[in-house]
Amino acid sequence: MTELSIKINGENITADVEPRLSLADFIRDHRRLTGTHLGCEHGVCGACTVLMNGEPVRSCITFAAVADGTEITTIEGFDDDEPMAQLRQAFHENHALQCGYCTPGMLVAARDIVTRLPDADEDRVRLELAGNLCRCTGYVGIVNAILSVLERRRA
Amino acid sequence: MPDGATGQGIGASVLRKEDKRFLNGEGRYVADIARPRMLDAAIVRSPVAHAKNLKVAKPAGAEKRVFTAEDMAADGVQPIHVVSKFPGHKPSDYPHLATDKLRFVGEAVAVCLADTRAGAEDLAAQTEVSFEALPPVVDMLEAADNPPARVHDDWDDNVILDSRFEENVDGLDAAAVSVTRTFRMNRQAVNPLEGAAVLAEWDAREDRLVVYSASQIPHILKNALCECLGLRQNQAHVIAPDVGGGFGYKCVLLPEEIYIPWIAMQVKRPVRWIQDRREHLVAAANAREHHYSVTLHADTDGNFIGVEADIVIDSGAYSVYPHSNILESTMAGRTLHGPYRFSAYKVRSRAVATNKPPIVPYRGVARPGICFAMELAVDAMARELGREPYDLRMQNLVPGEAMPYKTITGGEFDSGDYPEALRRAGALIDLPAMRDRQKQGEADGRLIGVGFGCYIEMTALQTSAAARAGLAAIPGYEQAHVRLTPDGGLEIGVGVQNHGQGMETTLAQVACERFGIDIDMVAVRHGDTATSPYSTGTYASRSMVMAGGAIARTCDVLGEHIRRMGAHLLQCDFDDTGIENACVVGPSGSVTFAEIARVWHRNPEELPVDVDPAGVEVTSGFRPTPDNSPFSYATHACVVAVDPELGQVEILDYVISEDCGTIVNPMIVDGQIIGGALQGVGTALFEESRYDEAGQPLSSTFADYTMPGSTHLPNLRLDHLVTPSPLTEYGVKGLGEGGAIPPPAAIANAVNDALRAYGVEVRETPITPRRVLEKICPVK
Amino acid sequence: MKPAKFEHKRMTSLDDVVKVLGEADGETRVLGGGQSLGPMMNLRLAQPDVVLDLSRVEGLADIEEAGDVLKIGARVTHARIEDVEVPGTTGAYMQFVASGISYRSVRNRGTIGGSVAHSDPAADWPSALLALGGDVIAAGPNGVRTISLDGFTMGPFTTGLGYDEVLTGFELPVLGADARWGYYKVNRKPGEFADAIGAVTIGSAPRAVCGATESAPFRVPEIEEKLAAGAQEISVADVRTVLEGHDAGFDDYELQIHAVALSRAVKRAFA
Repeated sequence: MTELSIKINGENITADVEPRLSLADFIRDHRRLTGTHLGCEHGVCGACTVLMNGEPVRSCITFAAVADGTEITTIEGFDDDEPMAQLRQAFHENHALQCGYCTPGMLVAARDIVTRLPDADEDRVRLELAGNLCRCTGYVGIVNAILSVLERRRA
Repeated sequence: MPDGATGQGIGASVLRKEDKRFLNGEGRYVADIARPRMLDAAIVRSPVAHAKNLKVAKPAGAEKRVFTAEDMAADGVQPIHVVSKFPGHKPSDYPHLATDKLRFVGEAVAVCLADTRAGAEDLAAQTEVSFEALPPVVDMLEAADNPPARVHDDWDDNVILDSRFEENVDGLDAAAVSVTRTFRMNRQAVNPLEGAAVLAEWDAREDRLVVYSASQIPHILKNALCECLGLRQNQAHVIAPDVGGGFGYKCVLLPEEIYIPWIAMQVKRPVRWIQDRREHLVAAANAREHHYSVTLHADTDGNFIGVEADIVIDSGAYSVYPHSNILESTMAGRTLHGPYRFSAYKVRSRAVATNKPPIVPYRGVARPGICFAMELAVDAMARELGREPYDLRMQNLVPGEAMPYKTITGGEFDSGDYPEALRRAGALIDLPAMRDRQKQGEADGRLIGVGFGCYIEMTALQTSAAARAGLAAIPGYEQAHVRLTPDGGLEIGVGVQNHGQGMETTLAQVACERFGIDIDMVAVRHGDTATSPYSTGTYASRSMVMAGGAIARTCDVLGEHIRRMGAHLLQCDFDDTGIENACVVGPSGSVTFAEIARVWHRNPEELPVDVDPAGVEVTSGFRPTPDNSPFSYATHACVVAVDPELGQVEILDYVISEDCGTIVNPMIVDGQIIGGALQGVGTALFEESRYDEAGQPLSSTFADYTMPGSTHLPNLRLDHLVTPSPLTEYGVKGLGEGGAIPPPAAIANAVNDALRAYGVEVRETPITPRRVLEKICPVK
Repeated sequence: MKPAKFEHKRMTSLDDVVKVLGEADGETRVLGGGQSLGPMMNLRLAQPDVVLDLSRVEGLADIEEAGDVLKIGARVTHARIEDVEVPGTTGAYMQFVASGISYRSVRNRGTIGGSVAHSDPAADWPSALLALGGDVIAAGPNGVRTISLDGFTMGPFTTGLGYDEVLTGFELPVLGADARWGYYKVNRKPGEFADAIGAVTIGSAPRAVCGATESAPFRVPEIEEKLAAGAQEISVADVRTVLEGHDAGFDDYELQIHAVALSRAVKRAFA
């Protein structure tokens, strides 16, 4: 077992974990924050995306033990975040979700786009979304939602 | 009947009620549920495609944590049996766990339990599986005509069912022009983003088995559990919570849905199995593998006369419950004609067994395949005759005046204007401009092509047609419970299951239309066998037609009770009342639903003496009369650019002109069509579950299996025709599958149009760069 | 898909890492960003007994321009390179390469040293750096070693690193302001591993690389000669003829796409 000290959504946590436990499984099974989802466990689908020290990472291929000393924000940790609030509203208005399984990871990736790339156009948005699979929506609503937030934030 | 004055009824793009929990990460999928003392399961799966004399050695010391078919048989677990009425349909029961034989790579052999999934996988790695390998049956054509082995020993061949659909065969002789082509659609996986998942435990207080499953068909799953585990129906409770996509993969029984609950009963603890992506890509590579040999016959003017075909469908090793393994092959044989007029028909369709996972009805079922075959044949005929493919289609589509139209195989199209959809798609794609563009050539050297795909889709399969077709699973009436709550709101229970289609919103809209009630006062509940009416579930694009119809009818019955009480409270005649804006309105006043609910629930002393004791909680049902199916249809058109050096295909423009009858929620309808279209793009260009000659799967991770993504389909342009169905409430038709049906056809036709100068045709999906280059520059 | 059990060691110094690697009796792996090793371990394709976590080892993530050499630490992430932390023309070339690797959330963790040490045949950095030229810096029991990038990548998951060595960084040439470069990656979706890579840089001398072969990327001297002679465009047919002469084990399709990749890389260099 390895000792782990980590901050999740502002809360300091210490735990003893198996070295092989992924950050995703630590978040989901140990902390019972089940908004972060597992879709592939090899880093391709993006459903597991969380913020580590403010940047999006794949929690399914990150060992919890290696995340020692970092600050993690999961989908449950954005209550007071303006970009996320804007994105949630835009996703809702643009029908950017159907079954909801990709949505948490998609929102974290979308937040990275609108905050890091304020001048992104549609082509760039689509390029940046290549790491998040959605099987239901065909992406049109998601792209429109992100573009609307970018426009709103530029105003 | 009332007009929804609240702007939340039929035709309103109401934003979804279900969004909030998903946006906040508060959805509850099976994997999100933790039960006390829960154990995790990992499955030992067959490493070979075909073998006999299976022996399983449980790891020493862990025998109580490992389960095999032998253990299940010793406990009297029954097999699941799927029988259709098709004469000659050879049964092939799908074992829960493999017994003596192994029949596909990924077939479940043993189940290991531990406190964590990782620990269970450790145990699985220590479980030894031995067997004697047999020659694998990998190619469906070989399996049919020249097999290296038999998948089922008690059969004399590998043909599950050989069915023929023939009408006026002699009429084929009249044809002056014929084109013959073979087409192949390769195997793929369905890949909902949430895989399969089962969590089961015995609930001592309720004295019944509780099974959470990511299922589209909770009541059907309950049937299977009871049959196999010897339970009374009142001893089982199935709950499909939030489900992360299904698309047909989850509308069939999985063996895990039987053996995981059985194991939970044995160990007397909750047991959970969550399918991982590799399991899905390997053991659930189970969709779309079709082969067509088609001859299209016409006269010299291009009027279609007949179609002949030999269809082979790789149906895998076993028959799935409840739809069986001949649903797809018989649908293909019966409906290859698509939206065209034919007077002669000679189609043979064989479902063939191979050493691959059992076929499931993935979105569209047989229709993507038959649309691909027919639409490419039509384009080939156009090239043969020197005609524009668009014109040839226009000439031969069943016209609007012919509705209702009896097809050559005895089906009946209820309504629609197929040529109009084609006309609009042609206008949107701007065919003349594309032809000009082709003449000019592209600066980057790429080749431009335009392609069309037309289809019809029987939605909401009905009782008589299913029975006539000899199918194993026959749907009946659909019911809804509607309850007026003490505050004047509605709680609605439906048996269909929502897994992305927005039914918590759209089904509520039906009630809003009926009563003018505010949608926040309406809650639609689903997915739980304890609280929902029996239903065959969500599949076959049936939910709005059937559950929507049931809600409308049930609201009518409830509405009558409410009006009676309202009339009494208003002291007027029943016949002088109506319902508007959740009020009963009389000649000189109105009373709200909330007020009527108060009387029923809290002040029954104010009720009329002859009030119906059934009160404000009503169940009623719906089925079209006669029970024919509404048909949706569309034309897709696309423009592609083909890179002749790399063989890559890019979609430059994509338009859809579609008709799904009356549209309940335009936003959600568009979402279904677009989502389906991207899945179709996946089938057309990217997705393939490849196998080597030993039957070993080669596409076991997303590194080897490409999913369509955010850059593959530009913004679509959608156009809607509305031809209300005469068969349904409000004239709605099903539409959930349609988007996925024609993209392979439209895209392949566009690619072939682009490659005209080479005189070649691609006839196989996915249209990979390798396949394109092999056509353009074949190896000398 | 959960990994097999392993021991996790948090390392604090490079010397300790070298020591542990040298003394190991089971399979010991250095964990870089974990973006390549992580999936392999989840799939149980890799089952090391010990994993060395270098998160706390200092001095491996610096970027420094020292005269005509760029020193890049092994733990520099693809994201930092994408964000133009490497200066000049070399930085622009590397920025282009980095931005096509996988997805941003993977680039935030994946490292250039990890990618080259791991040596997936379809990865970007082994090919891209071979086209740039320069050296790998490795720390081992006998101190620090400089290994030329030429021949460093030897095959799938096989490099010139010894079992008891750690890749600590790179020393790469500073390309001049008017140096040219072109990188072309053939794949079907942004971020995917390449089906074929063509890479050229023309600094002090032309370097042309054919990458994402089934084995190691290789330099193509015939193309380099044509570039040195002033060619600004080399047709696909000509590249095909050249590549046919190399024993790369390509079938006809693979030959075609690798030829296109290199031809288009040259085109980009002069665009």
